[in-house]
Amino acid sequence: MKILVAVKRVVDYNVKVRAKADGSGVETTNVKMSMNPFDEIAVEEAIRLQEAGTAKEIVAISLGIAACQDTIRTALAMGADRGILVETEVELQPLAVAKLLQAVVDQEKPDLVILGKQAIDDDANQTGQMLAALLGWPQGTFASKVEVGAGTVNVTREVDGGLETVALKLPAVVTTDLRLNEPRFVKLPNIMKAKKKPLAVFKPADLGVDVAPRLITLKVQEPPKRQAGIKVDSVATLVDKLHNEAHAI
Amino acid sequence: MHTPNESAALLDGIRVFIEPAHVRSDPDSCLNYGRDWTRLYTPNPLAVVLPGTVEQVQQLVRYANEHRLALVPSGGRTGLSGAAVACRGELVVSLERMSRILDFDPTDRSVTCQAGVVTEAVQNFARDHGLYYPVDFASRGSSQIGGNIATNAGGIKVIRYGLTRDWVTGLKVVTGCGDLLDLNRGLIKNASGYDLRHLFIGSEGTLGIIVEATLKLTRPLREPSVMVLGVPDLDSVMSLYHILRNKLELSAFEFFSERALRHVLKKGLHRPFDTETPYYVLVEFENPEQLHTDTALALFEHCAEQGWLADGVISQSESQVKELWRLREDISESIAEYQPYKNDVSVRISRVPDFLAEADTLLTQEYPDFEVLWYGHIGDGNLHINILKPVGMNPTAFAQKCGAVSEHLFAILQRHGGSISAEHGVGLTKKPYLHYTRDETEVNYLRAIKQVFDPNRIMNPGKIFD
Repeated sequence: MKILVAVKRVVDYNVKVRAKADGSGVETTNVKMSMNPFDEIAVEEAIRLQEAGTAKEIVAISLGIAACQDTIRTALAMGADRGILVETEVELQPLAVAKLLQAVVDQEKPDLVILGKQAIDDDANQTGQMLAALLGWPQGTFASKVEVGAGTVNVTREVDGGLETVALKLPAVVTTDLRLNEPRFVKLPNIMKAKKKPLAVFKPADLGVDVAPRLITLKVQEPPKRQAGIKVDSVATLVDKLHNEAHAI
Repeated sequence: MHTPNESAALLDGIRVFIEPAHVRSDPDSCLNYGRDWTRLYTPNPLAVVLPGTVEQVQQLVRYANEHRLALVPSGGRTGLSGAAVACRGELVVSLERMSRILDFDPTDRSVTCQAGVVTEAVQNFARDHGLYYPVDFASRGSSQIGGNIATNAGGIKVIRYGLTRDWVTGLKVVTGCGDLLDLNRGLIKNASGYDLRHLFIGSEGTLGIIVEATLKLTRPLREPSVMVLGVPDLDSVMSLYHILRNKLELSAFEFFSERALRHVLKKGLHRPFDTETPYYVLVEFENPEQLHTDTALALFEHCAEQGWLADGVISQSESQVKELWRLREDISESIAEYQPYKNDVSVRISRVPDFLAEADTLLTQEYPDFEVLWYGHIGDGNLHINILKPVGMNPTAFAQKCGAVSEHLFAILQRHGGSISAEHGVGLTKKPYLHYTRDETEVNYLRAIKQVFDPNRIMNPGKIFD
């Protein structure tokens, strides 16, 4: 079985994100960039399937600027076999990403595509679903457990009422939720090995995909500052403030 | 000790100048405020007082002088040497209500705060202003700046940033006489005589009460990377230290043993890699845009060829930086249930290998039945040697046995010119061993200094020395 894993380069989860002064987006200069945490889980799941003997080859793909190679190298150091970068300076929106992935899937013919359920920068939660629709493949989103059988994959999802398990026929698209697994640390020797693994670079035009944005961002701004709380010394004062200042009661 | 009537009268006297609600003598308060993280002593304070202003602190100290009341200044009480323990009817003075940040100056890169501000609050405040307060340790969420200063706290970034002492540019203290001193006022240069500020840093509450501090801030670390390396023996730990320190901008070089790691793993963390080695080293270094990853890789290869390490991982994100740090930082908490006997010793870095070898032999010989855990800030020459109490063993018998072995350990330490307390302070637990580090003549000078600031011996009496 061959698995394609999509990985996105995003502002590190622990960085306090700041809006650019001109409102055009989020500040990314001198900011730590890392692999989208949900994608890390996707890579880990693919590697576990490979370690279990289910998967033969893992291809990690990223889309975006040249620096996304770093993110692919991380996936390779974790255990993926080779990488693909679709390089573009254009801001990629979920539909464009899904179309690019579709084009790569047509070339690579994987049995399973695993992606994070969403990226922590735009929180779109669309790419996996769009990709499944474009390919006409079944989809198992928000996976908390993945079990591959003969020609099928069972995906357990955490839903409001408990756990729901869907059975999909391969090939299929799976998107990962937080509790699917805990990604491993990258071993130093594996980083060296990863440098020698193949990494192919394409342009969107090579794949015949129009990646022009369909949505226009009007403005990105900081949320309004919250007022600091106060302590009151009696219930009467609390009631008074709730009534006369907060107008809550 | 006072009779119940005398005690009540003394507290009523305090309630004249401090709001009655902040003079507490209920058993819960007395227990919680009467002890630190040590569990060797039975807390027994007269009461707990929580002043809200500098004036109230001064009034309290004057009152204590008048009535010869012993005071135990109290911060976050995360200390490990019993310096904040009140077990002899003392009055605990908690600064926790004085927890405001008073001033920030971006030009001076300094922040002025009250003594009761929690360390993490200062760190967060600095970060929100694009700066960094680098004194850091696992108890950051509870410990307070006043306590940090009173113990000259060290922690996990000392190798690059030094101790608390290096970050205090101004102090306001109420001396044991009740005088308010404004020391150094945030100046970088001030060659106008004795710098009393430095006497209060590390004084463990024996000279007076720290009420305000001005702290220096610096720029944040740029995208730190963390490596955890598996190391076969103690000599290799030192070899790694020498080579890594020369090639990378280290902000931490920490070490822990497999035995220590196992306790953290029991609490739910995962092994960083599957190779098991007797020792591990955690290395943090600045790595903006992965500029130094190649250097780190080359060093790893070289060290592996030398046999100094068997395996290793490197963080790929800030989340992984934090996860890897937990392997080291969670040790202390993970062994708390074993009521460990804690040794916190230091020697010059050049003496570390010899000291380690001798100490290792001694401990293996003397504690064949006890679990001994090694970890620490080896890049600072600072080792924490924890001896776990066997389940079911009587705590007093355990402490006695450990105390006896400590005498041997400290004798080795003395030969190497080390210190019986690297960063935990002396307090009560290390008082009997102070002479291994400071000779009688020197201790007499310490006593004379205390006499100047605290003539009636009301400030944390019986701590550090008698």
